[in-house]
Order: sequence, then C-alpha cells, then structure tokens
Amino acid sequence: MAGLLIGVLGIAGLFTLRALTPAMGELNLPNALQDLLTLSYSVIIESLPFVILGIVLSILVQVWVPDAWIIRVLPQNPVLRRMAISFLGMFLPVCECGNVPLARGLVAKGFTVSESMTFLIAAPILNPITIITTHQAFGFDDGILVARLLGGFAIANLIGWIYSRHPDQESLLTSRFAAECRVVDAAAARRSNGRKSVDLFAREAGVIMPALFIGAIIAGIVQVAVPRSVLVSLGSNPLWSILAMMVLAFVISICSNVDAFFILPFAGIFLPGSIATFLILGPIIDIKMLAMMRTTFRTSTLVQLTAVVSLMAALIGLVVNFVA
Amino acid sequence: MWRNVIRWNGIILVAVTIVSSLWLAVTGQLVLYIHPRYVIFTVTMAIIGLAFVLASFAMRADPGGDDDHDHDHDHGVGSDPLAELDPTLTGQDASSPARRRAALFATLGTALTLVIAFTLIVLPPATLSSATAGQRSINSTGVGSEIQSVDDAATATDGAFSAFTVLDWASLLRQTTDTSFYAEKPASMVGFIADHPDDSDNMFYLTRFVVTCCAVDAQPVGVPVYLENWRAEFAIDDWVQVDGEFGTNPSRASTEPIVLTVDDMVPVEQPAEPYLW
Repeated sequence: MAGLLIGVLGIAGLFTLRALTPAMGELNLPNALQDLLTLSYSVIIESLPFVILGIVLSILVQVWVPDAWIIRVLPQNPVLRRMAISFLGMFLPVCECGNVPLARGLVAKGFTVSESMTFLIAAPILNPITIITTHQAFGFDDGILVARLLGGFAIANLIGWIYSRHPDQESLLTSRFAAECRVVDAAAARRSNGRKSVDLFAREAGVIMPALFIGAIIAGIVQVAVPRSVLVSLGSNPLWSILAMMVLAFVISICSNVDAFFILPFAGIFLPGSIATFLILGPIIDIKMLAMMRTTFRTSTLVQLTAVVSLMAALIGLVVNFVA
Repeated sequence: MWRNVIRWNGIILVAVTIVSSLWLAVTGQLVLYIHPRYVIFTVTMAIIGLAFVLASFAMRADPGGDDDHDHDHDHGVGSDPLAELDPTLTGQDASSPARRRAALFATLGTALTLVIAFTLIVLPPATLSSATAGQRSINSTGVGSEIQSVDDAATATDGAFSAFTVLDWASLLRQTTDTSFYAEKPASMVGFIADHPDDSDNMFYLTRFVVTCCAVDAQPVGVPVYLENWRAEFAIDDWVQVDGEFGTNPSRASTEPIVLTVDDMVPVEQPAEPYLW
C-alpha cells in the first residue's frame, strides 16, 4: 500500500505542478526554440497512446495468449509464414511506434528476428486504418495506393527473407534485448499474470519512452533547421523529387495512419512516384522510428535495414513515375 | 538514488506525458498538439496507462513487496545497474572503458529525457509561430481536399463569404486571379501576422496552420494583406481580425497579383483552436 500511496501522491504532485505553472506567465522563449519544443511535444503526445496500445498488445501476446498459440496457427513453410505475418497488422492495427514494443513481444514469444522484422515493416502499411486513409486521400489515382500496399508487402518479405539467411539472427539484436529473450526468469515464472503484466509494462516503458523522447527532440531540431522550400523546389524532377520525399519522410516522423492526408497537399507539386516513396518509406524508417528500433536492433542492423528499405522505396517510386 | 531514477525513468516519463496530456485535454488545449479526432483515443489510452503506472508503484515500489528481491533476478543480471543496461557488461572490471562509456551514456540519456519531461510539465502550452510558417514557406504546398472551389464560391451569399476562413480564401486565390471574381465579396478572417517577403513594410500574410494529424505536420496557409505601414500598430505573430475585400495589389514591390485590402483590422485573442483542420 505504501507504494501505491507514493504513486498517487506523485501523480497528484505532477497535476498540481502542471496546473500552477501557467500562472507564472509566459517565458517569451525565442520563436525557433519555442517551436522546436512544440514540435517535439507534439511527437511525444501524439505517439503516447499508440505506444501504450502497443505495450498493452505486447503484454496480451506475451502473458495472456497461451504459449506457442500464435506460432502454431501460422504456416510452417518459412516463406508462407512470413507472408502470413505481413498481414498480422490487419488484426493488430497499431501505427509504427506501437509496433516496436509489439514486435519485441513477438520475438520474446518465439518469433525469429527476421519474422519480427517482417511484421515491423509490413504492419504499419498493411493495416485497415492506413489502407482506408490512403484510399480516402488518393483513391486509386496514379497507382499510389496499390504501390504503397504492394511495396510495403514486398519490402517486408524481402527484408524477412534476407535476414532469414543470416547464420546467427540473435546477433542482429542489441545484447540487452537478446539477453532478455534468452534468460529464463525463474522468479518471474512464479508470479501472477497480473504482476507479470505490470512488470512488462514497466520494462517496456523503460526501453521505449526514453527512445521516444530523444527521437522526438532530434526530429524537432531537424524540422526547425531544414527549410521546407529546399525540398519543395525539387518536386518536379523524377529523381530529385523522390530523394526530396525520402528526406521529408525521414524528418517528419509522422504516423502511418494519417500520413496520406499530410502528403496530399504535396501531390500537386511532387510526382506520384515520389508520393508513393514517401508513403512506403515513412512508416518504416524515420528519425523517431530509428531511435525506437535502436532499443531492439544493433546499429549495424539498422544501417543495413535503412539502406535496403530506402533503395527499394526509391526503386518503387521510380517505377511508378515511369508508369503513371 | 540515481540508480533508482534510471530504473524508474520509463515510468516517470510515461507518468509525466500522461499527466500533461490529461491536463491539456481537461483545459481544452490538447488541440495545440494533436488533431481533435485523436483526443478521445489519447485520453482513453492515457487513463489505461495511468492505471499501469499506479499498479507499477503499488507492486514494484512497495517496501513490503518483493521488488528488491525480484530485481536481483530480473533478466538474470543481478543488481548491477550497468549490467541491467547491457548484460554483456556483467562481470567486467568496474573501471573498464566499456563500463565507463555505458555509465556515461546512461547518465546523459536519463538526464536529457528528464529535462525534456520537466519542460513538458512546466512550460506553458504554445502554438507554432511565424518562425515555422516562414521556415515551411507559406502556401508552398496545395491545401488538401477540403477546399473551396471557384464554382461553389461564385454562387455563395455574402453571409457565406464572411464565414470563409484563411484556408478557404487561400484555396480560391490559388485557383483564380480574376479580379471580377472577388468583386463585392466581403472577407472577414482571423489569423496571425507573418512576414511577406515582397514588401514587408506594407504587406503581410494573414496566416493559419492546417493540421492533419499533429503539430508536426502543420502546413502554413495565408492570404496576402496590403496595409501601408502596418508595423506602426501591429507586430509579427499578433493575432488579428481583418475585414476587407480582395482586389488588385497596389504594391509596386510585389508580384502578388491580388491582395486583401483592409477596411478594418483589430487585435484579437488567439482562438481556442488556433489550427484549421
């Protein structure tokens, strides 16, 4: 009970502090600094519900779903299995920041690293909310929706296949996360499911939240520092427009569920292939996601992942520009 | 003490973000950061998260509980906080470079996130300013699908025109520069002042941000306003209501063909919902 009392008093103290500070008046920070903070807070506040949802789903998978149940219902053939995993997002529609804790939970539950990567890449694109919002924004015009769905599916399975050939998949993970998956905690096994759930929430929050905070502040700094006009001026060139959209996707770190609405106003300036590249790359690789994925994968793994995904997204964009 | 801060850092960051989000929602200011469609979802998940935070304190921080004992077994790495950060460091010499580096990064990372969390809880909420409007280039993109079309606007009543927002007028200005279209169509808009580079002493942009998801994706839209020597009474970032009509631009320094000429302009409070959706 003492712990609960500390928690209640701590939360009450935070509410009191939050309620009192506006009365102290404006700080009159320089505009650029104030906007940097507003942009960073926006990323954190927008991501929080998805992170919590992702952790809760991860808890359900790890603690409450019977062992090996998910593993058993998936096909045994590795290729078919990864293809099936690509569509898990249809049943677990969490945007990309929520998928990181969920993917960690799937590895802990018995997925191979390559299978978890397939899920991590495919789920933010192949999920009902993303499909509906992309269709609302673009319909079937210029093949943008089709390119996004097929592109996301193809890249997810390509990455899964490449890393399934790796002789030691565990070496792709950070040593801390690999150890967490490897070590059988005898004390934890004796605990109730409720206690396990709370422990898992605390552990995942301890890993994901610092990464989210640091990713958000870096995204804010880059957004304040890079003039948007530089990117927009490149819009009509078939190659440069794709590279500009890749930079924008990397910087903006926007949620895949609504990125189609964000990019819609750019459709009059940028070629369709570059829009498709933005919609494929953004949910997989951006500043915030790299910071969050670093909690799980080694830096060298993320460099390889970024290179392959960027090249594939650019190639798909070029094809769409050529065909559309 | 610092070891405990590092251990509880994630829960502290979740708690701070939840409290901040709930307070913003209760005071109607969550829309400064996210689209209104996400408010209910955010509040719902914040309440679920708050339950987990309180349960964490109840189960893991209770002196009578088994947290300390359990912690010795967590991840099988003992009670060494550095080993908890990176299990491969277990057993290494305390003065080894790898351990010192890990300790330094852990300390710096935790300190940085706590500083950000502190500012999140104490700084007054704020909307984006003219600095971001300029940095993102006003009207540099289209204006999305929810726009006024010239055909629809041509048959609108005076009452409808006076309800048009900065976004509505900006979308019409992108579609036509025919001055006869704008004749006898009264305009009344609220926005903030952002610099117009063509003739910055006599022109400015009346500006709003259009948000699709959160402040990160805010796109600045604006209508050019002509008012001689406007800086004598107003300043950049001031929120104002402007009444007037669109017509040929009197400024010789500007290439902007049509501007809003001012009949009346008064300072106003920043709207409760400063962004357009």
